[in-house]
Order: sequence, then structure tokens, then C-alpha cells
Amino acid sequence: MDAVALEHLGFEIALGTYLISSVLFILYFSIKKRRLVEMGFTLALFGFAFQTLALASRWLYAGYPPWVSTYEVMSFFAWAVMGAYVILNVKSDYKSAGVLIAPLAFVLLGFASMQPTNPAPLIPALQSVWIFIHVPIIILAYCAFVIAFVASVLYLFKDKQLSEARMTEGFNRQRDVASKDTPPSRTPESTGILANFSLEQLDELAYKSVAVGFPLLTIGIITGAIWAESAWGSYWSWDPIETWALITWFVFLIYLHAKTQNWSASLAAYIAAFGFISAICTFLGVGYVLPFLQTYISVSTGLHGYAGGGAISGTVLFCGILVAVLLLLLATRKRPPNATRAPPAQTDAESGPTP
Amino acid sequence: MNFAIKVLTSIRFALATIGVIILVSVVGTLYPGGDIVFGSPLFLALVGILAISTALCSLTRIVPLWRDVRRPPVEVSDHFIQTLPYAVHLSGVTLTQVRDSLKGYMIRETRTGKTTFLLAQKGRIGRFGPHIAHFGVLILLLGVAIGAAYGNANPYNNKIAVIQEGGSQQVDGFTLRLDDFNVSYYNNGAVRDYTATVTVLDGNLIQTQNVTVNGPLTYKGLTFYLYGYGVTQSGNAWVAFQIKSTSGLPFVWVGAAVALVGIMLSLYVPHKRIWIKEADQSTQLGAISNKSSARFFREIEGVRTKLESHAHSVDHTTRSEEI
Repeated sequence: MDAVALEHLGFEIALGTYLISSVLFILYFSIKKRRLVEMGFTLALFGFAFQTLALASRWLYAGYPPWVSTYEVMSFFAWAVMGAYVILNVKSDYKSAGVLIAPLAFVLLGFASMQPTNPAPLIPALQSVWIFIHVPIIILAYCAFVIAFVASVLYLFKDKQLSEARMTEGFNRQRDVASKDTPPSRTPESTGILANFSLEQLDELAYKSVAVGFPLLTIGIITGAIWAESAWGSYWSWDPIETWALITWFVFLIYLHAKTQNWSASLAAYIAAFGFISAICTFLGVGYVLPFLQTYISVSTGLHGYAGGGAISGTVLFCGILVAVLLLLLATRKRPPNATRAPPAQTDAESGPTP
Repeated sequence: MNFAIKVLTSIRFALATIGVIILVSVVGTLYPGGDIVFGSPLFLALVGILAISTALCSLTRIVPLWRDVRRPPVEVSDHFIQTLPYAVHLSGVTLTQVRDSLKGYMIRETRTGKTTFLLAQKGRIGRFGPHIAHFGVLILLLGVAIGAAYGNANPYNNKIAVIQEGGSQQVDGFTLRLDDFNVSYYNNGAVRDYTATVTVLDGNLIQTQNVTVNGPLTYKGLTFYLYGYGVTQSGNAWVAFQIKSTSGLPFVWVGAAVALVGIMLSLYVPHKRIWIKEADQSTQLGAISNKSSARFFREIEGVRTKLESHAHSVDHTTRSEEI
């Protein structure tokens, strides 16, 4: 079997297994069988192994790393997200995060499968050492934001579940007090896939992911600016990709400041979730816009031609849906009057203790 | 005036400004030609306010921070130690033993009567990380401002120089000559790269260099980029170079690097502090960190367990000797 066939086989198998894995994870919501999660995770691992094979063989026969064309970037992103998910599960059990990771990887691979797959020789503008540094760094940053997003969404769901449980508890206690029967007090526990980790753990996981992703995004933006400066004579030109990368950077900047300000952990979780949406906007912008780079071959058409429109409608649609889902989550959030806020994982010692 | 300073030094205000900048930026990407907002007075004002706010945030906080980090109290009350996030009574372990087991800490020790106080610190630079990052961003913005003021004022900035093969053009007191222009191809016929060989003639200086798509020529504060090429009716190649002023660029790169270092310091270097107070019979230990407390506390717990178990085994041997 030659490398091209091996790549396609690996790709197809990964696409299929990510889909089945997603279905298993989503099924878990109606049939609460722990086995489904285990099976979903095993399948995801299987798909990840095959995708690794596919990417490695592509690297071999194309002669450059698999993160240049839209097809490559999309599938590399899917691979890296899966990789982050696997690493996350080495030391602790976050298998149930697959309910968000597996569909994301599947959608990314699905997008990739709709792109032309033939490896094209590197056009002059892309022949820079920066393409080997800038692109993977940015993708790793986005992987970290994916994990931060997953941790934040799980946090919000768990928070909701706990406050609902607390409300029921409070109601029961009132009723029991009325009947002059003092029940043993117990703290409500969350059930299902959310029982595996505490709010503090999720909050800390989100923070740690951002602490990894934020410097990576910073490096990614700087290397991108250096590259743009050497290729186009302008380190910054406010094209949609640059602008969205900066917006993402700003959102996580707010997140990190929020963490030092003892804002509520659930507010921080919302900020992290919005940051990920912004990252996806940037990424989709790149995905749609990169083909425009090809026009750069006719040098005289202008150097920023690649940043044309066209990217907008798809990106806006996708982000609109994501924002709507988040807002829905926000709207359905209920807080009992006696709800206590989870303590933030980070303590700020900016002012320091006084003796 | 006081109110204005209070607002400008508040983190909430700075974050709110960033929020508005985010909203304006989103609008700027939503429709074609929307990037015009980034040059608008509104946007410049927002960035200006953010810069002032960033500078004031750091300026007002750095003096108290410096004082706290440089001269933290060593002689502290029992209550102070007991209210730290990590506080224990050490049994059978002396202050000296703990001190000798702490690696890489800066240690200060004082003695009042029979009481000995110890303060061990590590990672103080981490506390300055945010301010270093703020400083870097301000340098970067200064570079952008210099570029906007002086770069755009340079008459050659953004001009296009079109030179025929063998021909030359006068630019800002020196001459640029196009010696050769080549297009290289892959086997399948796609363009591999464009290469223009140019020579700078400036008085006695003669300097020849290749200019490629990702490899511009920089000379005397001007950078020449490949912009276009063509062939004249007589069969001569011509190349268009875009000229850009490099004003402010060093500030931009240095600022970005400083900001990155500041970000890494603030995220990865936790400031750890341990206080120990040893009086007659009791030794108390308290610790605090501005980050990753769990790991830090485990580290101290490890030291403590080791020393205490050692102390107990020593106890046993002494006792058995007494028997």
C-alpha cells in the first residue's frame, strides 16, 4: 500500500470512529450506562491512532508538515484536540469530556473532508520558516482553549445541577421542618458524568488550560506579525484573521484578570467559553480565507488580497449558533437564594497578607 | 480629578474598555471594508484610554507591591500565621531543620528574646510579571505610534518603485539597481519563488542582495518588498518594489518580547512564602502562594512529614537507650 492510500484509509477510519464515538457519548445522555462512555473513549483512541498514521504518511509523501492547506490544518486541529483529550485522561478521568470533544473532532474532520486533498507545492508566500512555527503554535493554543471550553461548560452544567439539587433540598427541608421532623443534613451531589470531578477541579483545569493557551496564542500572534512583516511589509493589517486572533487574546486577557480579582468562578467559565468561540471564529476565518492566499501567486494583485470577504458568512453563522447556545445556557440558569459561590481555584496575593 | 484617577486606575474600568474594543473590533470584521473602524478616532481614543489606564494601573500598584515584596514582615503574630491558607504546628522539628530542607528559597531570620522568626521566599519576580507585561505593551504601542507619526511622514513610505532589469532608481539619497530577476518553478510548473537580485549604491558602498517574497531588503530605515513583476514590449523584465519605512519597528518587537516575558512570569512563576515562628516549646509554620497552592502545600507537607518522622524515630532511639 502506498503512502497516499494509507493516508486516505487512516483518514476515513478516523472520521468513522469519531462519528460513532460521538453518537455513543450523546446516547449516554438518554441511556445512562457508564459502558457507553468507556466504549466512546476506546473508539476515540482507536480513531486517534489511525489519524496519527494518516498525518504521518502525508508528512512523508508531501515533504512538508501537514498544516499548510485548509484540509491539512483542519485535520491537524482535529488530531491535536483528540491528542489533548487523550493526554488529559492519562492521569485523571475526564473521559466524559468526550461528549464535547468527539463531535468537535468529527465536525473538524468533516470540514476537512470537503476540502481538496491534493498536496500542492508551497507557494512563495508560504515558503517561510514561520509556517512551521506559527501554525502549530496557534493550533496548540486553540487546543488548550478547547480544553478550557470543555472544562468551563462542564463547570456550568455541574453548577446548574448542584444549585437545582440545592433548591430541591431546601424545599424538602422546609417541608420537613413544617412537619417537625429534622432530616439529616446532606450536601447535594451531582450525578452521572458530572459526578467524576468537583467544581474546583473543573475551574482549575480551565485555568491551567488558559495558562498554557494564552502564552502560546501570544507567541502565535507575534510570529504571525513577524511573518507578515517579512512577506508583506506590514506586521498588522486588521484583516479578519488578525482581528479575531486579537479579540480572542483580549477575551482570555479578561479571563486571566478576572481570576486575580476573585470574580465568581461561573462568570470566569462564561468568559472562557466565549474566548473559545472567538478562537473558532479566527480558525474558521483562516479555513475559509486560506484558499485566497493562492491568489497571491499573481503578485501584482495586491499583497493583502488573501484577506478578502467570503469568510464572513460561514463564520458568523457558526459563531451565531454557538453564542445562541451559550446565551440559552445563561438564560436557563437558576440560582437558589442561598446558593454559595464556588471558591476560585486561585487565590490572589496581590495585596499580600498583613500581620 | 481624583475621581478620574480612581476610575483610570481601576482594573474593572480597564477591562470594560477592552470589552468595548472587542465589540468595536467584531463590528469591524462583520462587513467588507469594515476595517475602516480601526483607523477611526473612536478606536484610537479607546486604545489611548486603555494605554493610559494600563500605565496608571501599574504605576499605582508597583510601589506598594515593591514594598511588600522587598520588606515583608518577618516578625509576625501567632494570629497571622494561623490565618494563612496553610498553617501547622510542628512537633519535634526545629526551625533550623526546616530551613535546611528548603531548597532555593531566600531566607531571612530574626530573633527577639527566645523567639526566632523565619521568612522563606521564592519566585518574587512572578509578582512583577503583570507589570512587566503592561510595560511591554506600552513600548509596543509607542512603536506603533512612532510608526504612524514618522513612518507615514516619510515621503517614500508605501511608494512603489518600478525598476527594469539593468536599470536603477534613486531612493532617499541612495540608488537601487535591479541586476537580475528570476522565477523558479517546481516540476509540476507551479512557481517556487521569485528572486530579484538588487544592488544598493550609496557613495562608496556597493551592496548586492537577493530579494525574495519572504526576504525583503532593508537599507537605511526603508524596506523593499517584492510587489509585482512583468515584461516590457522589448522583452525586458521589470520588478515593482513596495517601500516601507521601518520607523518604530524595533519598539514593536522589543515591546512584544517584553510583554511575552511578563505574561510567562506572571503565569508560571508563583510567589511562595513560608513563615516560621519558634517559641519555647512550639514551632508554627504558615505558608501562602499567589498560584498553584495545592502543589506548593504538598511540597511543604512532604518536608514536614519527612522531618517529623525522622524526629520521632530519633525519639524512639533515645528512649530505648534510656531503658
